[in-house]
Amino acid sequence: MSALLEVRGLKVRYGQITALSEVGLDVGEDEIVAIIGPNGAGKTSFLSAIAGVVPVTSGTITFRGDDILSLPMEEAVRKGIALVPEGRHVLPGLTVLENLKLGATIRNDAAGIRNDLERFLDAFPILHERRDEPAGRLSGGEQQMLVIARALMSRPTLLMLDEPSLGLAPRIVEQVYDMIKATRESGVTVLVVEQNARRALAVADRTHVLNSGVIRLSGTAETLSNDPDFEVAYFGLRTVRNE
Amino acid sequence: MTRPYTHSAQTARARPMLARLERLVPLLLLVAAVAGIMLLSSQFGIVQQRRVTLAFISLMSVVGLYVFMGNSGVLNFSSVGFMAIGAYVSALLTMRPQVKATFLQDLPGWLAEAQLDPVLGALAGGVAAALIALAVGLPIMRLSGIGAGIATLSILIIFYIVLGNWSGVTGGQRSLMGLPTYVTIWNAGLAAIGAIVLAFVYQESRSCLALRASREDEVAARAVGVRVVRERLTAFVLGAFICGIAGVFYGHFLGTLRVENFYLDPTFLYITMLVVGGMRSLTGAVLGVIVISTLTELLRLLEVGARLPGLEITLRAPAGLGDVVLAGLMLGIILFRSQGITGGREITLRGLRG
Amino acid sequence: MSSSVIAVLIDAFSVGGLYALTALGIGLIFSVMRLANFAHAEFVTMPAYALFVLSGHPVIMAIAFSVLVAVVLALMTERVAFRPLRGIDPATMLIASFAVSMFLQRLLVFAFDSRIKPVDPLAFLDGSLTLLGADLNLLKLATVMTCLVLLVALTVFLKFTRFGLEMRAAAEDFTMSRLLGVRANRVIAMAFVLSALLAAVVALLFSAQTGFVHPRFGLQIVIIAFVATVIGGLGNLVGAAVGGFLVGVVSTLLQTFLPPDLRPFREAFVFFIVILVLLFRPQGLFPARGLKERI
Repeated sequence: MSALLEVRGLKVRYGQITALSEVGLDVGEDEIVAIIGPNGAGKTSFLSAIAGVVPVTSGTITFRGDDILSLPMEEAVRKGIALVPEGRHVLPGLTVLENLKLGATIRNDAAGIRNDLERFLDAFPILHERRDEPAGRLSGGEQQMLVIARALMSRPTLLMLDEPSLGLAPRIVEQVYDMIKATRESGVTVLVVEQNARRALAVADRTHVLNSGVIRLSGTAETLSNDPDFEVAYFGLRTVRNE
Repeated sequence: MTRPYTHSAQTARARPMLARLERLVPLLLLVAAVAGIMLLSSQFGIVQQRRVTLAFISLMSVVGLYVFMGNSGVLNFSSVGFMAIGAYVSALLTMRPQVKATFLQDLPGWLAEAQLDPVLGALAGGVAAALIALAVGLPIMRLSGIGAGIATLSILIIFYIVLGNWSGVTGGQRSLMGLPTYVTIWNAGLAAIGAIVLAFVYQESRSCLALRASREDEVAARAVGVRVVRERLTAFVLGAFICGIAGVFYGHFLGTLRVENFYLDPTFLYITMLVVGGMRSLTGAVLGVIVISTLTELLRLLEVGARLPGLEITLRAPAGLGDVVLAGLMLGIILFRSQGITGGREITLRGLRG
Repeated sequence: MSSSVIAVLIDAFSVGGLYALTALGIGLIFSVMRLANFAHAEFVTMPAYALFVLSGHPVIMAIAFSVLVAVVLALMTERVAFRPLRGIDPATMLIASFAVSMFLQRLLVFAFDSRIKPVDPLAFLDGSLTLLGADLNLLKLATVMTCLVLLVALTVFLKFTRFGLEMRAAAEDFTMSRLLGVRANRVIAMAFVLSALLAAVVALLFSAQTGFVHPRFGLQIVIIAFVATVIGGLGNLVGAAVGGFLVGVVSTLLQTFLPPDLRPFREAFVFFIVILVLLFRPQGLFPARGLKERI
């Protein structure tokens, strides 16, 4: 059986700079897969390439067996891939409710949309309370909840999150990760990118360590934490030594 | 963004003499081209000579536009306004007092009496344009992108409105007639060469290298200590001076001034010339003027009706087509070759051979 | 006394309303693709020529034709000229729109020559209405009403329809909106269509007021509206509308109350204010309203 998302030999270059060289990985159905690595490792480029935000230099990306490489970014979500980019990106001038509604842009089942809206507003009382306020006025944690809920409004098969814990207080990070776990339990596959390695390892079924555009190490939380090479892979010391 | 420094510094250190000579090649080639055109067309009839003279004036103006816009990468719609200032200042200082008295009764005494030598008048025109550019540019050089576009467009419009309504001094909406018409293909050609030399010398200066660095990356340039506003202002003032002189020649070429001659149509023409040639190099500015002027002339001939040699057919294009084609060409260049014909490079001997 | 005040106000509001509609037309496109569309001038001029071409025919027909011309023109320029430039720096796009504008203007000169052409599309509105002792020009009253209706309609569209939501989202964060499934081509085409509709209305009302068209018919009003969008804050639709309205009203009032010597210079003041705004309030007079509240 093939994986939900298959990435092979993915290479992304911005002009002279190579962000990703030959990255390959699979994401199976109902998994939580994490990609960890330091700043500038190429994590964001990886998700952006899958979502069609940045052009791919070479490689293949298939989703449910379909080639999705050359799709414009508004089509990825129609295929069932929702990306929550780094830095939250609420639409600050639109209300909380409008943000959520916008998440359902690709759907046409009015009743279903209304149902989902109610479900999310019930699940997050703070969003319910502030539903008619501009989203830009929410706190960082609230915004993060909002953008995840907004992404889920499209009823995705695969939810991709870029640094969901960035800049949030530990207590809020806890909530965000609870939300991620709940998402998987509702049958959505999750691919999460994190600098916060401990946090990601705790929740992921499988984790890949990405550094300098290459996957250095892969495995379950257990194998990775016991791997003597883990820190070397994460901090990129190996490349220094090899050169 | 620091490449311009390191590049020129290295070559200069490695082979001082040769490198310095090689750097002069674009200048020599451009000057030779203009001088060649000047000599060649002096053999033509008076009508053709006037066309070439007008092209030389355009050349000055486009070089003036290039000095700021090309080197700084900041939009500028105001250059024609500085032409207007040069033209009116020189007109008021060089016209015969009797002529002035018939058109402009309300001039202050000293201005009504003044009648300077044409060269002094021309210099005064250029300097006036430069001084006003200094005053206007001081605040607005902070702007870039669309803000700069709209601010400079506003300046053009303000100049247009003020000149068009300051009847006592400019004649307002009426034409100002009776300027001494001393412009010939020779002095216009020499002035055009002068503009090219000035632009080139400036372009090779440290100040301009810093400005070009800010064009590539403003934040990084600031970070390495480039005073962006000051460098821009220098280019703006120098550009306005050259445009002012271009305006002086334009006025004394036509003999008649109308504010309409200094508004959107010529602005568009000069920007077209610069963009078509390639905004980022002096070669581009010069080439753009030559290409567009030639094309305009061909289209004009076609509108008059051209007879193909040896054939009985007369080709005739409907009037106004030339302008449409020109605007279409401009659009095409922006869409398909946004760096212009030269791609932003200077002409070199190697480039000529290749 | 008070009756003449009402007349002056209606006069000022009718001019302000037209500028507001024009500024909105420019603002709609700017907000979704960061294009300061100079060619909006021809989006106004061309439908006015359409009215001229069909003058003598029933008004409804002429208006329908002019709206069609505006929409087709807007969609064509978007497709041919602006789509290939999408995402390029705004300064280059400004030059491109300048080139489109000149191209269209010269096409008009080529097709119709540059002399002025008489039009009177709304002849039935000649005459006046006496209200509170003031003689009010019917056409100007109709202009004010139309502008109000359109402003309300546009607000309702943007605020309460799905399309409107997508447009507002695209204006705030184009990439994020696309990631949520908002189709770039569709939302931009929509902005152009709305802009063209507003331009067609301006063409109708403005040509009815002036009584003639010429190749630069739209230019004057668009240049001023440009200014208004800057004053109001580029990309902020409410700001654009308010800016347009204010510029129109202030300019009309200056025309009425300024000493005759200074009247011709009134627009120079307006442009001077623009430069001041650019320098001291680069986000416009109503900055960052989008961040807090919108419409």
